[in-house]
Amino acid sequence: MTNKQTSLGDRYAEIAVIIVTIAALLAGWFYKSGVENASVPFSAEGISAEAPKGWLQLQPASNELLRATDLGSSGFGTTYILRNMPVAEAATAPEVANLLVLEHAQALTAFRVLDQREVTVYGRNAYELTYVFVESNPDLTHTEIPSVVRGADYIFENGEHAVIVTFQADEKNFDLDLSRFHLFLESISF
Amino acid sequence: MTGVFLAIVPAAIWLVFFYLQDRAEPEPKGFVLGVFALGALLAAGVGIPLVNNVFRTSHWIYTDTLTTILGGILVVGFTQEFLKYAAVRYSIYNSGEFDEPTDGVIYATAAGLGYATVLNIQFVVSNGGVDLGAGVIRIAVVALAQAAFSGITGYFLGRAKFESEQIWWMPLGITLAAIFNGIFNWLQGIVTQPRITLSGTTTNTWMGLVLASAVALATTGLILWLVRRNLKSMQAGK
Repeated sequence: MTNKQTSLGDRYAEIAVIIVTIAALLAGWFYKSGVENASVPFSAEGISAEAPKGWLQLQPASNELLRATDLGSSGFGTTYILRNMPVAEAATAPEVANLLVLEHAQALTAFRVLDQREVTVYGRNAYELTYVFVESNPDLTHTEIPSVVRGADYIFENGEHAVIVTFQADEKNFDLDLSRFHLFLESISF
Repeated sequence: MTGVFLAIVPAAIWLVFFYLQDRAEPEPKGFVLGVFALGALLAAGVGIPLVNNVFRTSHWIYTDTLTTILGGILVVGFTQEFLKYAAVRYSIYNSGEFDEPTDGVIYATAAGLGYATVLNIQFVVSNGGVDLGAGVIRIAVVALAQAAFSGITGYFLGRAKFESEQIWWMPLGITLAAIFNGIFNWLQGIVTQPRITLSGTTTNTWMGLVLASAVALATTGLILWLVRRNLKSMQAGK
């Protein structure tokens, strides 16, 4: 096998191909960001937010205002939940967090608290509760492996209510989906 | 294991089919298999991780028809076609064995079939096997389509090497291949995306496969016509 020296024309063509491919991938990246970050306005009980567009909005339960799930997620569908929970006016965020821990422990399989701490979310004081649980399809005929799900609740005190913003995602997707959740968190006003 | 075997067989058949098109001066089998392996390695090491883990196409590409087509061209199409181009351009292209324009098609289809083999193995493994109806046909169609689209790139590569084309020639080849690839992926998406109806969920499996097969066969026909036209003009030149 003899090797031929690359001609100048070949070199320019090669550079042109690389430039066109990078340009296409960059355009694809911006298009992807536009699609993923698209949102629809949501408002209820004086709380407004920009909910992700194209996500399945399930019927909210009890004091939930919004429950949106990304059906495109692999494993457990990434879910945002917005709640407006009535609490005693003197109740503190850590007390609300304890209540949430009890609720989760009753409802979720293998629930474990990972961390809880006071945080500042876009200039607002909040209390962050991070946890993990296992989600399994209750249908015994399903053969897939149960998903390990990571969750984060952000508790905001709002007079006689606590606004709770929940993010739950498959353990594999949690970090990747976090930036989209931050956009949702930033959009919430009450 | 049977599924993985089924994923490899169509690629092997198409590889022999495309290899036999170059009757005038057959390429060394080792080089063709080497480019095939390079295509497979680039798919497993770069293409699939980039499309699935960096661009995470499954999260957004099926949002609507326009997104499926644009995402299929800009992300999936360009990634796949560039890597198949790279498998030929940075291996055999400068070799003395690449001595006629038709060789571009032969080596590029080999790279495309290597890429398709990894895509099909991934499809089989992630689905826990394939059914003997639509699943096997899908594997055969994907292999043919990947070979045909890279055949477009190969045709442009062959012409670029021997006919001193303009600077836009090669990017045009990759872009055309990416467009065909994107349209094919969209048609294939009809196969995998279930539709929710009042009576439950349905999939247009066969319709999607027929449409995707039509694109793959039309592209293959075009590539074979170009190869044969080139062989005739070479024989006339001699």
